[in-house]
Amino acid sequence: MSADVMLTSERRAGAMKPLPLPASRRAYAALLVTIGFGLCALPSFVSGYVMTLAVEVMIAGIFASGINLLTGYTGLVSLGQAMFLGFGGYGIAIGTALLGWPLWISAPVTLVVVAAIAAPIGAICTRTRGVEFLLITLAFSQMFYGAAIKLRWTNGSDGMTGIPRPDLSLLGMSADNPTVFYYYVLVVAVLSLLMLWRIVTSPFGSVLVGIRENERRMMSMGYAVANYKVGSFALAAVICAVAGILQSQYTYFVNPDAMSWQMSGEGVLMVIIGGANVILGPFVGAAVFVVVKQALSMITEEYNLFFGIFFMLVVAFFRGGVLGSISALIGKRQ
Amino acid sequence: MSALEIRNLRKAFGGLQVISDLDLKVPSGQRHAVIGPNGAGKTTLFNIITGWQPPTSGEILIQGVPAKQGRPDLVTRGGLSRSFQKNMLLESVTVLENLRVACQAFDASRRSIFQSCRSFTDVVRKARLAAEQMHLDTVLHRKVNELSYGQKRQLEVAIALCAEPKILLMDEPAAGTSPDERTSLIKLINGLSPELTILLVEHDMDVVFAICDIITVLSYGRVLATGTRDQIQSNPQVIQAYLGQRHA
Repeated sequence: MSADVMLTSERRAGAMKPLPLPASRRAYAALLVTIGFGLCALPSFVSGYVMTLAVEVMIAGIFASGINLLTGYTGLVSLGQAMFLGFGGYGIAIGTALLGWPLWISAPVTLVVVAAIAAPIGAICTRTRGVEFLLITLAFSQMFYGAAIKLRWTNGSDGMTGIPRPDLSLLGMSADNPTVFYYYVLVVAVLSLLMLWRIVTSPFGSVLVGIRENERRMMSMGYAVANYKVGSFALAAVICAVAGILQSQYTYFVNPDAMSWQMSGEGVLMVIIGGANVILGPFVGAAVFVVVKQALSMITEEYNLFFGIFFMLVVAFFRGGVLGSISALIGKRQ
Repeated sequence: MSALEIRNLRKAFGGLQVISDLDLKVPSGQRHAVIGPNGAGKTTLFNIITGWQPPTSGEILIQGVPAKQGRPDLVTRGGLSRSFQKNMLLESVTVLENLRVACQAFDASRRSIFQSCRSFTDVVRKARLAAEQMHLDTVLHRKVNELSYGQKRQLEVAIALCAEPKILLMDEPAAGTSPDERTSLIKLINGLSPELTILLVEHDMDVVFAICDIITVLSYGRVLATGTRDQIQSNPQVIQAYLGQRHA
Protein backbone atom coordinates (compact mmCIF):
# COMPACT_ATOMS: atom_id res chain seq x y z
CA MET A 1 0.00 0.00 0.00
CA SER A 2 1.42 3.38 -0.90
CA ALA A 3 1.55 6.15 1.64
CA ASP A 4 1.47 8.74 -1.17
CA VAL A 5 -2.26 8.23 -1.76
CA MET A 6 -3.55 10.76 0.70
CA LEU A 7 -1.10 13.56 0.06
CA THR A 8 -1.61 16.82 -1.73
CA SER A 9 1.36 18.39 -3.50
CA GLU A 10 1.55 21.17 -0.87
CA ARG A 11 1.78 18.72 1.96
CA ARG A 12 4.38 16.72 0.06
CA ALA A 13 6.51 19.86 -0.34
CA GLY A 14 6.22 20.53 3.38
CA ALA A 15 7.26 16.98 4.13
CA MET A 16 10.56 17.44 2.32
CA LYS A 17 11.78 20.43 4.38
CA PRO A 18 15.21 19.66 5.83
CA LEU A 19 15.58 19.25 9.57
CA PRO A 20 16.83 22.38 11.36
CA LEU A 21 20.24 21.99 13.00
CA PRO A 22 19.57 22.30 16.75
CA ALA A 23 21.57 24.85 18.74
CA SER A 24 22.75 22.06 21.04
CA ARG A 25 24.33 20.32 18.05
CA ARG A 26 26.16 23.50 17.04
CA ALA A 27 27.37 23.91 20.62
CA TYR A 28 28.48 20.28 20.60
CA ALA A 29 30.43 20.80 17.36
CA ALA A 30 32.10 23.93 18.79
CA LEU A 31 33.00 21.99 21.93
CA LEU A 32 34.53 19.21 19.84
CA VAL A 33 36.68 21.64 17.85
CA THR A 34 37.87 23.29 21.08
CA ILE A 35 38.72 19.93 22.63
CA GLY A 36 40.51 18.92 19.41
CA PHE A 37 42.71 22.03 19.44
CA GLY A 38 43.32 21.59 23.15
CA LEU A 39 44.45 17.99 22.71
CA CYS A 40 46.74 18.88 19.79
CA ALA A 41 48.38 21.62 21.80
CA LEU A 42 48.52 19.67 25.07
CA PRO A 43 52.16 18.42 24.86
CA SER A 44 53.38 22.03 24.57
CA PHE A 45 51.83 23.03 27.88
CA VAL A 46 51.92 20.09 30.24
CA SER A 47 54.44 17.88 31.97
CA GLY A 48 55.29 14.34 30.90
CA TYR A 49 53.19 13.01 33.77
CA VAL A 50 50.03 14.75 32.53
CA MET A 51 50.74 13.52 29.00
CA THR A 52 51.02 9.99 30.37
CA LEU A 53 47.65 10.42 32.02
CA ALA A 54 46.22 11.74 28.76
CA VAL A 55 47.47 8.64 26.91
CA GLU A 56 45.88 6.42 29.56
CA VAL A 57 42.62 8.35 29.30
CA MET A 58 42.52 8.02 25.52
CA ILE A 59 43.22 4.27 25.58
CA ALA A 60 40.65 3.75 28.33
CA GLY A 61 38.24 5.97 26.36
CA ILE A 62 38.54 3.76 23.26
CA PHE A 63 37.99 0.67 25.39
CA ALA A 64 34.95 2.21 27.08
CA SER A 65 33.63 3.33 23.67
CA GLY A 66 33.56 -0.30 22.60
CA ILE A 67 31.59 -1.11 25.74
CA ASN A 68 29.32 1.86 25.04
CA LEU A 69 28.39 0.53 21.60
CA LEU A 70 27.19 -2.66 23.23
CA THR A 71 25.84 -1.28 26.51
CA GLY A 72 24.76 2.28 25.76
CA TYR A 73 23.54 1.89 22.20
CA THR A 74 22.39 -1.74 22.02
CA GLY A 75 21.32 -2.10 25.66
CA LEU A 76 23.44 -5.20 26.33
CA VAL A 77 25.38 -4.78 29.58
CA SER A 78 28.52 -6.93 29.36
CA LEU A 79 31.07 -7.78 32.03
CA GLY A 80 33.33 -9.56 29.58
CA GLN A 81 34.63 -6.91 27.18
CA ALA A 82 38.10 -7.01 28.75
CA MET A 83 38.62 -10.37 27.03
CA PHE A 84 38.75 -8.45 23.75
CA LEU A 85 41.10 -5.89 25.26
CA GLY A 86 43.31 -8.86 26.09
CA PHE A 87 42.85 -10.42 22.66
CA GLY A 88 44.05 -7.16 21.11
CA GLY A 89 47.13 -7.10 23.31
CA TYR A 90 47.92 -10.80 22.92
CA GLY A 91 47.17 -10.69 19.19
CA ILE A 92 49.71 -7.99 18.54
CA ALA A 93 52.20 -9.68 20.91
CA ILE A 94 51.86 -13.04 19.17
CA GLY A 95 52.05 -11.42 15.72
CA THR A 96 55.08 -9.26 16.37
CA ALA A 97 57.05 -10.86 19.21
CA LEU A 98 56.26 -14.52 18.58
CA LEU A 99 55.75 -14.80 14.82
CA GLY A 100 57.95 -11.87 13.85
CA TRP A 101 55.36 -10.21 11.62
CA PRO A 102 55.58 -6.48 11.09
CA LEU A 103 53.13 -4.33 13.04
CA TRP A 104 51.24 -3.22 9.94
CA ILE A 105 50.32 -6.86 9.28
CA SER A 106 49.87 -7.95 12.91
CA ALA A 107 47.43 -5.16 13.81
CA PRO A 108 44.83 -5.72 11.04
CA VAL A 109 45.16 -9.51 11.35
CA THR A 110 44.55 -9.18 15.10
CA LEU A 111 41.40 -7.13 14.52
CA VAL A 112 40.06 -9.57 11.91
CA VAL A 113 40.76 -12.54 14.20
CA VAL A 114 39.08 -10.75 17.14
CA ALA A 115 35.99 -10.11 14.99
CA ALA A 116 35.99 -13.75 13.89
CA ILE A 117 36.21 -14.97 17.50
CA ALA A 118 33.72 -12.39 18.80
CA ALA A 119 31.00 -13.28 16.27
CA PRO A 120 30.37 -16.86 17.50
CA ILE A 121 30.80 -15.78 21.14
CA GLY A 122 28.28 -13.02 20.45
CA ALA A 123 25.93 -15.48 18.75
CA ILE A 124 25.89 -17.54 21.94
CA CYS A 125 25.79 -14.65 24.42
CA THR A 126 23.08 -12.65 22.64
CA ARG A 127 20.67 -15.55 22.93
CA THR A 128 20.35 -14.36 26.52
CA ARG A 129 19.47 -10.95 27.91
CA GLY A 130 19.72 -8.88 31.08
CA VAL A 131 21.54 -10.50 34.00
CA GLU A 132 22.00 -13.73 32.04
CA PHE A 133 23.85 -11.84 29.30
CA LEU A 134 26.03 -10.13 31.89
CA LEU A 135 26.91 -13.47 33.48
CA ILE A 136 27.57 -15.37 30.27
CA THR A 137 29.93 -12.64 29.02
CA LEU A 138 31.65 -12.73 32.41
CA ALA A 139 31.95 -16.51 32.12
CA PHE A 140 33.53 -16.32 28.66
CA SER A 141 35.90 -13.63 29.86
CA GLN A 142 36.98 -15.67 32.89
CA MET A 143 37.43 -18.72 30.69
CA PHE A 144 39.91 -16.92 28.43
CA TYR A 145 41.52 -15.23 31.45
CA GLY A 146 42.11 -18.68 32.96
CA ALA A 147 43.46 -19.98 29.65
CA ALA A 148 45.86 -17.03 29.33
CA ILE A 149 47.24 -17.74 32.82
CA LYS A 150 47.86 -21.40 31.93
CA LEU A 151 49.16 -21.07 28.36
CA ARG A 152 52.92 -21.64 28.33
CA TRP A 153 53.59 -20.31 24.81
CA THR A 154 52.28 -16.91 25.91
CA ASN A 155 54.29 -17.11 29.15
CA GLY A 156 51.25 -17.78 31.34
CA SER A 157 50.67 -15.24 34.10
CA ASP A 158 54.02 -13.54 33.34
CA GLY A 159 52.63 -12.29 30.06
CA MET A 160 54.48 -11.28 26.91
CA THR A 161 56.99 -8.50 26.44
CA GLY A 162 58.76 -6.84 23.53
CA ILE A 163 55.64 -5.46 21.85
CA PRO A 164 56.83 -2.80 19.42
CA ARG A 165 55.44 0.65 18.87
CA PRO A 166 54.88 1.75 15.25
CA ASP A 167 57.95 2.44 13.16
CA LEU A 168 57.75 6.13 12.25
CA SER A 169 61.35 6.47 11.02
CA LEU A 170 60.04 7.44 7.58
CA LEU A 171 58.63 10.57 9.22
CA GLY A 172 61.88 11.08 11.07
CA MET A 173 60.27 10.28 14.42
CA SER A 174 60.35 7.54 17.00
CA ALA A 175 57.15 6.35 18.68
CA ASP A 176 59.24 5.58 21.75
CA ASN A 177 59.27 9.33 22.31
CA PRO A 178 56.35 10.06 24.72
CA THR A 179 55.16 13.08 22.72
CA VAL A 180 55.16 11.15 19.44
CA PHE A 181 53.38 8.23 21.08
CA TYR A 182 50.80 10.67 22.50
CA TYR A 183 50.02 11.95 19.00
CA TYR A 184 49.90 8.38 17.65
CA VAL A 185 47.32 7.43 20.32
CA LEU A 186 45.44 10.68 19.68
CA VAL A 187 45.17 9.88 15.95
CA VAL A 188 43.94 6.34 16.65
CA ALA A 189 41.47 7.67 19.25
CA VAL A 190 40.07 10.25 16.82
CA LEU A 191 39.79 7.64 14.04
CA SER A 192 38.06 5.22 16.43
CA LEU A 193 35.65 7.96 17.51
CA LEU A 194 34.88 8.89 13.92
CA MET A 195 34.25 5.26 13.06
CA LEU A 196 32.00 4.85 16.08
CA TRP A 197 30.15 8.07 15.28
CA ARG A 198 29.58 6.83 11.74
CA ILE A 199 28.30 3.49 13.03
CA VAL A 200 25.84 4.97 15.54
CA THR A 201 24.47 7.50 13.07
CA SER A 202 24.08 4.85 10.35
CA PRO A 203 20.95 2.76 9.67
CA PHE A 204 22.70 -0.12 11.44
CA GLY A 205 23.24 2.09 14.51
CA SER A 206 19.61 3.21 14.51
CA VAL A 207 18.56 -0.46 14.60
CA LEU A 208 20.82 -0.99 17.62
CA VAL A 209 19.13 1.91 19.41
CA GLY A 210 15.76 0.43 18.46
CA ILE A 211 16.79 -2.90 19.95
CA ARG A 212 17.78 -1.15 23.17
CA GLU A 213 14.45 0.67 23.26
CA ASN A 214 12.13 -2.18 22.34
CA GLU A 215 13.45 -5.43 20.94
CA ARG A 216 9.98 -6.90 20.31
CA ARG A 217 8.94 -3.88 18.31
CA MET A 218 12.07 -4.14 16.16
CA MET A 219 11.32 -7.79 15.41
CA SER A 220 7.78 -6.85 14.60
CA MET A 221 9.06 -4.19 12.20
CA GLY A 222 10.82 -6.94 10.26
CA TYR A 223 14.35 -6.82 11.64
CA ALA A 224 16.33 -10.01 12.26
CA VAL A 225 17.33 -8.67 15.67
CA ALA A 226 19.71 -11.54 16.52
CA ASN A 227 21.97 -10.71 13.57
CA TYR A 228 22.21 -7.05 14.56
CA LYS A 229 23.08 -7.95 18.13
CA VAL A 230 25.87 -10.24 16.96
CA GLY A 231 27.09 -7.47 14.64
CA SER A 232 27.13 -5.01 17.53
CA PHE A 233 28.97 -7.52 19.73
CA ALA A 234 31.66 -8.10 17.09
CA LEU A 235 32.13 -4.39 16.34
CA ALA A 236 32.36 -3.59 20.05
CA ALA A 237 34.95 -6.35 20.40
CA VAL A 238 37.05 -4.88 17.58
CA ILE A 239 36.99 -1.42 19.20
CA CYS A 240 38.05 -2.94 22.54
CA ALA A 241 40.83 -4.81 20.72
CA VAL A 242 42.11 -1.53 19.25
CA ALA A 243 42.43 -0.27 22.84
CA GLY A 244 44.18 -3.53 23.75
CA ILE A 245 46.73 -3.05 20.97
CA LEU A 246 47.45 0.51 22.11
CA GLN A 247 47.63 -0.53 25.77
CA SER A 248 50.20 -3.24 25.03
CA GLN A 249 52.24 -0.83 22.89
CA TYR A 250 52.07 1.76 25.63
CA THR A 251 53.49 -0.63 28.24
CA TYR A 252 55.45 -2.82 25.73
CA PHE A 253 53.79 -5.65 27.58
CA VAL A 254 50.60 -7.69 27.96
CA ASN A 255 49.55 -10.12 30.66
CA PRO A 256 46.30 -11.92 31.63
CA ASP A 257 45.27 -9.04 33.91
CA ALA A 258 44.18 -7.20 30.77
CA MET A 259 41.35 -9.75 30.53
CA SER A 260 40.26 -9.63 34.15
CA TRP A 261 36.66 -8.93 35.08
CA GLN A 262 37.84 -5.91 37.08
CA MET A 263 39.00 -4.39 33.79
CA SER A 264 35.56 -5.00 32.26
CA GLY A 265 33.93 -3.52 35.35
CA GLU A 266 36.08 -0.40 35.15
CA GLY A 267 35.08 0.03 31.51
CA VAL A 268 31.40 -0.16 32.44
CA LEU A 269 31.99 2.39 35.24
CA MET A 270 33.58 4.78 32.73
CA VAL A 271 30.54 4.47 30.47
CA ILE A 272 28.17 5.12 33.36
CA ILE A 273 30.20 8.08 34.66
CA GLY A 274 30.61 9.72 31.25
CA GLY A 275 27.19 8.92 29.87
CA ALA A 276 25.93 5.88 28.02
CA ASN A 277 24.71 6.33 24.45
CA VAL A 278 26.57 9.64 24.15
CA ILE A 279 29.46 9.31 21.70
CA LEU A 280 31.97 11.26 23.85
CA GLY A 281 30.59 9.90 27.13
CA PRO A 282 33.13 7.08 27.50
CA PHE A 283 36.06 9.47 26.95
CA VAL A 284 34.70 11.88 29.56
CA GLY A 285 34.07 8.90 31.85
CA ALA A 286 37.60 7.64 31.26
CA ALA A 287 39.05 11.08 32.00
CA VAL A 288 37.06 11.41 35.23
CA PHE A 289 37.87 7.83 36.21
CA VAL A 290 41.63 8.06 35.60
CA VAL A 291 42.08 11.56 37.04
CA VAL A 292 39.93 11.02 40.17
CA LYS A 293 41.56 7.66 40.83
CA GLN A 294 45.04 9.18 40.46
CA ALA A 295 44.16 12.13 42.68
CA LEU A 296 42.63 9.94 45.38
CA SER A 297 45.54 7.52 45.28
CA MET A 298 47.90 10.43 46.01
CA ILE A 299 45.87 11.35 49.08
CA THR A 300 45.16 7.94 50.60
CA GLU A 301 45.97 4.30 50.15
CA GLU A 302 42.27 3.52 50.69
CA TYR A 303 41.39 5.38 47.52
CA ASN A 304 39.02 2.62 46.34
CA LEU A 305 36.69 3.38 49.26
CA PHE A 306 36.50 7.05 48.32
CA PHE A 307 36.24 6.23 44.66
CA GLY A 308 33.21 4.07 45.49
CA ILE A 309 31.61 7.04 47.26
CA PHE A 310 32.44 9.25 44.29
CA PHE A 311 30.85 6.76 41.91
CA MET A 312 27.69 6.60 44.02
CA LEU A 313 27.42 10.40 43.98
CA VAL A 314 27.78 10.45 40.18
CA VAL A 315 25.05 7.82 39.79
CA ALA A 316 22.77 9.62 42.26
CA PHE A 317 23.18 13.16 40.96
CA PHE A 318 24.22 12.72 37.32
CA ARG A 319 21.68 10.32 35.93
CA GLY A 320 22.73 9.66 32.38
CA GLY A 321 26.34 10.40 33.33
CA VAL A 322 28.22 13.68 33.14
CA LEU A 323 27.58 14.31 29.44
CA GLY A 324 24.07 12.91 29.54
CA SER A 325 23.18 15.31 32.36
CA ILE A 326 24.71 18.28 30.54
CA SER A 327 22.80 17.38 27.35
CA ALA A 328 19.57 17.08 29.32
CA LEU A 329 20.22 20.47 30.95
CA ILE A 330 20.82 22.13 27.57
CA GLY A 331 17.69 20.44 26.21
CA LYS A 332 15.59 21.79 29.12
CA ARG A 333 16.87 25.34 28.69
CA GLN A 334 16.05 25.23 24.97
CA MET B 1 -7.05 -17.10 -2.51
CA SER B 2 -7.62 -15.72 1.00
CA ALA B 3 -5.24 -13.10 2.34
CA LEU B 4 -5.20 -15.00 5.61
CA GLU B 5 -6.33 -18.53 6.24
CA ILE B 6 -6.24 -20.41 9.52
CA ARG B 7 -6.93 -24.14 9.58
CA ASN B 8 -7.63 -26.28 12.61
CA LEU B 9 -5.63 -24.07 14.96
CA ARG B 10 -5.10 -25.28 18.51
CA LYS B 11 -3.15 -23.71 21.31
CA ALA B 12 -2.74 -25.03 24.82
CA PHE B 13 -0.70 -23.67 27.72
CA GLY B 14 -0.07 -26.80 29.73
CA GLY B 15 -3.51 -28.20 30.49
CA LEU B 16 -5.30 -25.00 29.55
CA GLN B 17 -6.77 -25.11 26.04
CA VAL B 18 -6.82 -21.48 24.88
CA ILE B 19 -7.73 -22.01 21.22
CA SER B 20 -9.57 -25.08 19.93
CA ASP B 21 -10.05 -26.13 16.29
CA LEU B 22 -10.19 -22.59 15.03
CA ASP B 23 -10.79 -22.00 11.31
CA LEU B 24 -10.79 -18.55 9.82
CA LYS B 25 -10.67 -17.19 6.28
CA VAL B 26 -10.10 -13.52 5.58
CA PRO B 27 -10.35 -12.59 1.89
CA SER B 28 -8.21 -9.79 0.44
CA GLY B 29 -9.47 -6.31 1.27
CA GLN B 30 -11.88 -7.48 3.95
CA ARG B 31 -12.21 -5.63 7.25
CA HIS B 32 -12.65 -8.45 9.69
CA ALA B 33 -13.11 -8.13 13.45
CA VAL B 34 -12.44 -10.76 16.08
CA ILE B 35 -14.43 -10.06 19.22
CA GLY B 36 -15.13 -11.94 22.40
CA PRO B 37 -14.94 -11.71 26.17
CA ASN B 38 -11.63 -11.43 28.02
CA GLY B 39 -9.76 -14.72 27.87
CA ALA B 40 -11.46 -15.78 24.64
CA GLY B 41 -8.04 -16.18 23.00
CA LYS B 42 -8.01 -13.11 20.74
CA THR B 43 -4.54 -11.80 21.58
CA THR B 44 -3.16 -15.36 21.67
CA LEU B 45 -4.56 -15.80 18.17
CA PHE B 46 -2.76 -12.63 17.05
CA ASN B 47 0.47 -13.77 18.70
CA ILE B 48 0.30 -17.10 16.89
CA ILE B 49 -0.49 -15.53 13.51
CA THR B 50 2.42 -13.10 13.84
CA GLY B 51 4.92 -15.76 14.91
CA TRP B 52 5.32 -14.71 18.54
CA GLN B 53 3.90 -17.95 19.90
CA PRO B 54 3.93 -21.38 18.26
CA PRO B 55 0.58 -23.14 17.80
CA THR B 56 0.09 -26.54 19.39
CA SER B 57 -1.23 -27.70 16.03
CA GLY B 58 -2.85 -26.28 12.93
CA GLU B 59 -1.81 -24.24 9.95
CA ILE B 60 -1.65 -20.54 9.14
CA LEU B 61 -1.38 -19.37 5.55
CA ILE B 62 -0.49 -15.78 4.78
CA GLN B 63 -1.32 -15.11 1.13
CA GLY B 64 -1.20 -18.85 0.56
CA VAL B 65 2.24 -19.29 2.16
CA PRO B 66 2.66 -21.05 5.53
CA ALA B 67 3.60 -18.51 8.25
CA LYS B 68 7.12 -18.75 9.71
CA GLN B 69 6.72 -19.79 13.32
CA GLY B 70 9.07 -18.19 15.82
CA ARG B 71 10.19 -15.52 13.34
CA PRO B 72 7.97 -12.44 13.67
CA ASP B 73 10.39 -10.54 11.43
CA LEU B 74 9.79 -12.98 8.57
CA VAL B 75 6.02 -12.83 9.10
CA THR B 76 6.23 -9.04 8.70
CA ARG B 77 8.39 -9.48 5.62
CA GLY B 78 5.75 -11.87 4.30
CA GLY B 79 3.28 -8.98 4.15
CA LEU B 80 1.56 -9.16 7.53
CA SER B 81 2.09 -6.36 10.00
CA ARG B 82 0.56 -5.71 13.42
CA SER B 83 -0.05 -3.06 16.02
CA PHE B 84 0.05 -4.07 19.67
CA GLN B 85 -2.53 -3.96 22.45
CA LYS B 86 -0.02 -2.22 24.72
CA ASN B 87 2.11 0.43 23.03
CA MET B 88 5.38 -1.03 21.78
CA LEU B 89 7.22 2.10 20.73
CA LEU B 90 10.78 3.38 20.79
CA GLU B 91 9.96 5.73 23.66
CA SER B 92 13.09 7.86 23.99
CA VAL B 93 13.43 8.76 20.31
CA THR B 94 11.28 11.02 18.15
CA VAL B 95 8.15 10.12 16.21
CA LEU B 96 10.07 10.63 12.96
CA GLU B 97 12.83 8.28 14.12
CA ASN B 98 10.28 5.59 15.03
CA LEU B 99 8.77 5.82 11.58
CA ARG B 100 12.11 6.13 9.82
CA VAL B 101 13.40 2.97 11.48
CA ALA B 102 10.15 1.21 10.57
CA CYS B 103 10.42 2.27 6.90
CA GLN B 104 14.12 1.43 6.82
CA ALA B 105 13.36 -2.23 7.65
CA PHE B 106 12.27 -2.73 4.05
CA ASP B 107 15.03 -0.71 2.45
CA ALA B 108 18.38 -2.08 1.29
CA SER B 109 20.04 0.56 3.47
CA ARG B 110 19.05 -1.22 6.68
CA ARG B 111 22.42 -2.99 7.01
CA SER B 112 24.50 0.02 6.04
CA ILE B 113 27.16 0.80 8.63
CA PHE B 114 29.26 3.58 7.18
CA GLN B 115 26.62 5.93 5.78
CA SER B 116 24.48 8.35 7.72
CA CYS B 117 20.75 7.66 8.10
CA ARG B 118 20.13 11.14 6.72
CA SER B 119 21.74 10.24 3.41
CA PHE B 120 18.90 7.79 2.69
CA THR B 121 16.39 10.51 1.83
CA ASP B 122 13.83 8.08 0.38
CA VAL B 123 13.44 6.39 3.75
CA VAL B 124 13.06 9.75 5.53
CA ARG B 125 10.49 10.82 2.92
CA LYS B 126 8.48 7.63 3.42
CA ALA B 127 8.56 8.14 7.19
CA ARG B 128 7.28 11.69 6.83
CA LEU B 129 4.51 10.54 4.51
CA ALA B 130 3.48 7.82 6.97
CA ALA B 131 3.35 10.48 9.70
CA GLU B 132 1.14 12.68 7.54
CA GLN B 133 -1.13 9.78 6.73
CA MET B 134 -1.79 9.20 10.44
CA HIS B 135 -1.91 12.96 11.21
CA LEU B 136 1.31 12.86 13.21
CA ASP B 137 3.16 15.42 11.11
CA THR B 138 2.77 18.13 13.75
CA VAL B 139 4.62 16.07 16.35
CA LEU B 140 7.35 14.63 14.11
CA HIS B 141 10.24 15.90 16.20
CA ARG B 142 8.73 15.19 19.60
CA LYS B 143 9.95 12.26 21.62
CA VAL B 144 7.42 9.49 21.92
CA ASN B 145 7.32 9.72 25.72
CA GLU B 146 6.00 13.29 25.32
CA LEU B 147 2.98 12.25 23.20
CA SER B 148 -0.60 11.86 24.35
CA TYR B 149 -1.94 8.33 24.65
CA GLY B 150 -4.10 8.78 21.57
CA GLN B 151 -1.13 9.96 19.52
CA LYS B 152 0.82 6.92 20.67
CA ARG B 153 -1.99 4.66 19.46
CA GLN B 154 -1.88 6.45 16.10
CA LEU B 155 1.88 5.96 15.98
CA GLU B 156 1.38 2.23 16.68
CA VAL B 157 -0.76 1.97 13.57
CA ALA B 158 1.56 4.22 11.55
CA ILE B 159 4.56 2.02 12.35
CA ALA B 160 2.64 -1.06 11.27
CA LEU B 161 1.75 0.68 8.00
CA CYS B 162 5.38 1.54 7.27
CA ALA B 163 5.89 -2.13 6.37
CA GLU B 164 3.45 -1.53 3.49
CA PRO B 165 1.61 -4.70 4.51
CA LYS B 166 -1.01 -6.60 2.57
CA ILE B 167 -2.61 -7.62 5.87
CA LEU B 168 -2.80 -5.43 8.97
CA LEU B 169 -3.58 -6.88 12.39
CA MET B 170 -4.69 -4.32 14.95
CA ASP B 171 -4.94 -5.36 18.59
CA GLU B 172 -7.37 -3.00 20.33
CA PRO B 173 -6.18 0.15 18.56
CA ALA B 174 -8.77 2.32 20.36
CA ALA B 175 -8.12 0.96 23.85
CA GLY B 176 -7.68 3.77 26.38
CA THR B 177 -8.39 6.58 23.92
CA SER B 178 -10.82 9.46 24.49
CA PRO B 179 -14.08 9.62 22.43
CA ASP B 180 -12.55 12.31 20.16
CA GLU B 181 -9.37 10.30 19.64
CA ARG B 182 -11.49 7.22 18.90
CA THR B 183 -13.52 9.06 16.25
CA SER B 184 -10.32 10.35 14.69
CA LEU B 185 -8.75 6.87 14.72
CA ILE B 186 -11.81 5.32 13.05
CA LYS B 187 -11.64 7.98 10.35
CA LEU B 188 -7.94 7.31 9.80
CA ILE B 189 -8.41 3.54 9.58
CA ASN B 190 -11.35 3.87 7.22
CA GLY B 191 -9.21 6.15 5.06
CA LEU B 192 -6.62 3.41 4.48
CA SER B 193 -6.35 1.72 1.07
CA PRO B 194 -9.37 -0.52 0.35
CA GLU B 195 -6.93 -3.18 -0.87
CA LEU B 196 -5.52 -3.55 2.63
CA THR B 197 -6.90 -6.53 4.54
CA ILE B 198 -7.57 -5.68 8.19
CA LEU B 199 -8.03 -8.08 11.07
CA LEU B 200 -9.09 -6.19 14.16
CA VAL B 201 -9.42 -7.18 17.79
CA GLU B 202 -11.49 -4.63 19.68
CA HIS B 203 -13.76 -4.50 22.71
CA ASP B 204 -15.44 -1.26 21.71
CA MET B 205 -18.33 -2.39 19.51
CA ASP B 206 -18.87 1.10 18.09
CA VAL B 207 -15.33 0.93 16.69
CA VAL B 208 -15.91 -2.59 15.36
CA PHE B 209 -19.18 -1.66 13.65
CA ALA B 210 -17.65 1.51 12.21
CA ILE B 211 -14.70 -0.30 10.62
CA CYS B 212 -15.51 -3.95 9.92
CA ASP B 213 -17.67 -5.78 7.37
CA ILE B 214 -17.39 -9.23 8.91
CA ILE B 215 -17.19 -10.19 12.56
CA THR B 216 -16.00 -13.43 14.15
CA VAL B 217 -16.96 -14.04 17.75
CA LEU B 218 -14.63 -16.13 19.89
CA SER B 219 -15.63 -17.70 23.16
CA TYR B 220 -13.30 -19.92 25.18
CA GLY B 221 -11.04 -20.30 22.15
CA ARG B 222 -13.78 -21.48 19.79
CA VAL B 223 -15.57 -19.67 16.99
CA LEU B 224 -19.05 -18.95 18.27
CA ALA B 225 -20.27 -17.21 15.14
CA THR B 226 -19.06 -15.46 12.00
CA GLY B 227 -21.15 -13.03 9.99
CA THR B 228 -22.08 -9.51 9.10
CA ARG B 229 -22.90 -6.89 11.69
CA ASP B 230 -26.65 -7.61 11.46
CA GLN B 231 -26.15 -11.38 11.67
CA ILE B 232 -23.92 -11.03 14.72
CA GLN B 233 -26.17 -8.51 16.45
CA SER B 234 -29.17 -10.80 16.09
CA ASN B 235 -27.38 -14.02 17.07
CA PRO B 236 -28.82 -15.09 20.45
CA GLN B 237 -25.69 -17.05 21.41
CA VAL B 238 -23.50 -13.98 20.80
CA ILE B 239 -25.90 -11.75 22.71
CA GLN B 240 -25.78 -14.11 25.63
CA ALA B 241 -22.03 -14.73 25.57
CA TYR B 242 -20.72 -11.28 24.80
CA LEU B 243 -22.79 -8.46 23.36
CA GLY B 244 -25.64 -8.20 25.88
CA GLN B 245 -28.76 -6.21 24.99
CA ARG B 246 -27.08 -2.82 24.35
CA HIS B 247 -25.60 -3.77 20.97
CA ALA B 248 -28.30 -6.27 20.01
